[in-house]
This record gives sequence, structure tokens and C-alpha cells, in this order.
Amino acid sequence: MRLGDLLRVSIRQLLRHRRRYWGVILAIAIGTAGFITIITMGRDLKKNFNRDLELLGKATLIRIYFEKRPSFGYQRFQPSTLEALRRLPGVSEASLVAQHPWVLGSWQGRDYHFALLGVDESFWKVNGLTPQGGKFFTSGDTNYSQRVCILGPELARTIFGREKVVGDQLAMQQELYTVTAVLNGAGLGDYAHFAFMPLSTAENRIQGISPANRIYLRCRTWEDVGKVAPLIPGAIQAVQPVQGLKVEVAWDHLRRVEAVAWWVELFIYSSIVATLILGGVGIWTVMMAAVRSRTREIGLKKAMGAEDQAIMAQFLAEAVCLSVAASLLGSALGFVSVEVTSLLIHSHPGQGLFLMCVLLGLLVAVGLGVAAGIYPSLRASRMEVVSAIRYE
Amino acid sequence: MTPGNGGPLIRVTRLSKHYSNGHGVIPVLRGVNLEVRPGEMVAVMGPSGSGKSTLLFILGLLQPASSGKYQFMGQDMLALSRAAQAEFRRRQVGFVFQNCDLFENSTVYENLEFPLVYAKVERQERPDRITAALERVNLAHRIHHPANHLSGGEKQRVAIARALVNEPLVILADEPTGHLDRTHGHMVMDHFEKVVAAGDTALIVVTHDPQVAERCSRIFSLEDGILNEN
Repeated sequence: MRLGDLLRVSIRQLLRHRRRYWGVILAIAIGTAGFITIITMGRDLKKNFNRDLELLGKATLIRIYFEKRPSFGYQRFQPSTLEALRRLPGVSEASLVAQHPWVLGSWQGRDYHFALLGVDESFWKVNGLTPQGGKFFTSGDTNYSQRVCILGPELARTIFGREKVVGDQLAMQQELYTVTAVLNGAGLGDYAHFAFMPLSTAENRIQGISPANRIYLRCRTWEDVGKVAPLIPGAIQAVQPVQGLKVEVAWDHLRRVEAVAWWVELFIYSSIVATLILGGVGIWTVMMAAVRSRTREIGLKKAMGAEDQAIMAQFLAEAVCLSVAASLLGSALGFVSVEVTSLLIHSHPGQGLFLMCVLLGLLVAVGLGVAAGIYPSLRASRMEVVSAIRYE
Repeated sequence: MTPGNGGPLIRVTRLSKHYSNGHGVIPVLRGVNLEVRPGEMVAVMGPSGSGKSTLLFILGLLQPASSGKYQFMGQDMLALSRAAQAEFRRRQVGFVFQNCDLFENSTVYENLEFPLVYAKVERQERPDRITAALERVNLAHRIHHPANHLSGGEKQRVAIARALVNEPLVILADEPTGHLDRTHGHMVMDHFEKVVAAGDTALIVVTHDPQVAERCSRIFSLEDGILNEN
């Protein structure tokens, strides 16, 4: 039997008995669509999942600093170090920070002590912080060491008795600073009690501020943290000495996040595998039923001279056509699902990845069709002609 | 394989068939001898269970014999491999069964196409051969009809056309008029006669019906597994 005839006859057979195959097609299609969505959107979903989780556990945040030891002096990170770290694979953003643990501030004659951080423009993104009112520092503020500051909401309430303080002025070390924003965001934590100013301003105007000896580094996903952390000392050493360098990773948080993610992934992949197995069992069942109900047809075809291989090939081709049809439907559903997910998480994956998943889905479908169809096809091919013809 | 000059198409010698069950051996055919020449119409009659269909199935290599000799144009048929048996059925034999046995979800054309598909006939040749076969049973106008929309008589004529489409040397018909009324039964036999008269095709028909048997050139009866010519 020629391949063209085989495919034509198989597709015709499926179309004419489509009602009996709908359930199986749908099961495999859903499995395939799930597979395509998870693989195509996986990275972006993880990023979103990551963004939501990291703010709770800071699992993807790496803290890098020089220990404050007299023998090493006060080391500071060079701007080129920051650039080198940003270039590491898996790094999303890095921020350079200087700190003063106990700066003196005053408002309306009353003194307050609070922690002050001198930060660069990336600090807010790295820590997932947003302005509640006002705006973050502009490049002009940074370049010209302007006297501006941002307050944590608790600090604003402590000093001013309210959170809406944008435009108000606060004195620090005898100089007045204009409040440009009050912070907000899930990653606030202790920063609610902090004051912030541009790094250049802090280094130039605040006495007793540490050198910029602290870097906060945000990884893209929690999976990147374990890969990035060991690369950090080498990347820094290529630029400057590393005596007293400390790299801190929240391993406990990370492991918990990884454990949660692992269980979620296990659940999703198990569901997909279960759906595909169900689809496979479905194919097996409908093909077995088809072999039984078409016993006389098989006998007749053998009487016409069909060889065992031709009968086997026909049933196998029907099983493969069935699973490929299901996979194509699944690809269409997967496309819709990817588009919808993209809209929901504001991220669009590459076409290449999607097409690769469709191709992979088709290959899996062919494998499933062959695996599930092989036994029924063998049974059909080995049927004795006379008993098949006499089958009622 | 083409018919030889004057020699028998089919020669069966001391052919036996028995079945074994838990209680012993049940003989079905006992030392059957039969010769059929090209263009002959042969009827095999006998009561139910006498082994008529079994003989037909053995001649069509659908079932093995227990012992004896079966030659088709001088070739030993009982020694053929499974693949060679299928090849023989594709090229030399056309079957017509009692129940018409068309593929119900297919059209008349598709029914007749299957033997050509298995014989690997080129696709462009098929329409002409199918039309020619249908013309021989006066059903060319039904070529694209669904098989399940045909009457019983038409179905049996399509079954005959399907048996003819590969231009076999022998047609083996198992009670071909069994499910038809007398008029349609006669019509089917008319078509068989036409086919046999047109060439070297032989017909072996198994039947209960004496009127069908009378249309054949030779009549055999099979009783208790023994075949006798009337």
C-alpha cells in the first residue's frame, strides 16, 4: 500500500467516524495546549511568580559588601565593578549603596535619628519599591548632588506626623533637603524607617557616610541565584581587590521558594502527563474498539489481498492521524492560551520558542499515536481471515 | 501467471480438511478432487455445514488445507508463504460473499478502489478500471453513491464489480444470491454469466439454490466432506 493511499484512507476513516474520536482528540489537545503554554510561557511566568515572591522573601536578592575591618580600610565598589556584575548571565539589575546608620535630622526644632542610604537610580527597581507620592530622583538630582531625599512612610509619619510630605523640607546635618517622594511597595520592610538620597549627594554632603561598599544584585529568577552567586567574586576580582568581600544569599528563602516552585511545577507537569496518558489510553481504547467493530472489514481486506503489514499500517496510521489531529487542535488552543497569558502577564515570548513547542508537541503526538496504536494494529494484522469474515 | 493452453486452472487432489476440538478430530473435507478450467462456471451444492464454504476458502487461500494437493495453473498453492498467498488473492482471485460485505461508510468508487490500492495500481488508472468493472454490472451511474444507500441487489452487483476490478482468473462466490429475492438473484447470475462468457475467468459458486446451480456448466455436490459431480 502506497503512503499516499495509506494517509488518504486513514484520514477519510477518521473523518467519517469523527464522533467516536472527539473525546480522545479533546483530551490530547488539552494536554498539548498545556504543554505548549507551560513551556512557551514558563520563563515569563517564573519571572512574574518570582517578582511576586521575591518581594516577600527577597529570595533572588544577593547582597555584596566589604566587611568594615580596619586592616582592609574602607573599601568602596568601583562603577566598573557594578557594570561587570550587571553583565553576569542571570542578573536583572544591580545597585550601589552607601549608608549612614544614625544620621541626625531635625524638623521644627525637634531632632530625629534615622538610617540614611545613598542610592543610585537602580535601587528602587532592585528592591521593588515605588513612590507613594512624588517621584524618584532625576538624573539632574544625581548629577548635581541636589539636596533632595525620599522617606520611608514610617519615618515620614514619625517626623511630620503624616505621609503626604512631598515638597516639605527636612534638615540633615544642618542642611535642608526637599522630600521628593514617600516610598511604597511590597519590598518596603525596614526601609519604611529609612531616609534616602542620591549617592552623589550622600557622598558629597553627609559626614560619616560609609563609602559605597554595598551592592544589591537582583537575579532574574530564583533558579539564577545559585548560578550567579559563585561568579560574583571572580567578576569583582577582575576589576578590583576583593579582601573582605562578602556575598550574602538568602539561601533559606531561596530553598523555600524553590521547593514551592518545584511542587507547583510537579503538579502542572503531572497534570499534563496524566492528560497525555489519558489521551494515549483513549487512543488505545478507541483503536481496540475500532479493530473489534471492523473485524469483518479486516477480513474482507485480507480477502482482497491486503497483507498483514498493510492492515497494521492502516490502523497505525489512523492512530497517528488521530493524535496528530489532536495535537494540531492542541497547538491552536496553545496559541490562544499563550496569547491570553501574554496579555495577563504583560510579556510576550519569542515566536521561535512557540514554534519549537508546537513541533515538539507534534513529535510527542506521533509517539503517542504509535505507542497507543501499535497493539491494536498488531491485533488487526494478525487476525485470521476466515474468522474475521465470519465475525458477527 | 496466465492461463495455460487447455490445462486446468485449478486442480485439487485428495484435499482434506479437519478441525480439532477438545473431543477429537472433525473431518470437513475428505479427499476432494476437483478440476476447473478457464471460463467454466462450477456450482458446489450441499446442505449447511457440509464444508462448501470451507472448500471455497481453501481455494482462495483464506484457510489452509489439512492435507492433499492444490495446484493453480500448475503451481503448488499449499506451499506459498503468507505474503505470496496475499499476492495470489490480489491478482488471481475475486471473492463475492453472501452478505454483500461492502464497506458501508464508503462510496461505490471507494469500495472498488481498495483492491486496486492493495495491488498498487497507479491512481490515475483507477477511475477507468472502476468504471469498466461497474459497467459490467450496469452500475456505472452509481459510481459515487454511498454504499449504504444501495438496494440489496445493487450491493451484490457492486460486490461482483469489486471482485472483477483486478481482472482475476477465478471468482469464488459464497452464496452470492442467498440474501436476494429471485429476480435479483437471476440478475446477479446473468452478470456472472456475462463475465465468464467475456473471457477466461472461471467461476466457482457455492449455493443452496438449485436454480443458481442450473445456470452453471458443472454442478458438484458436497456431502459428508465428499465431493461428487452430478
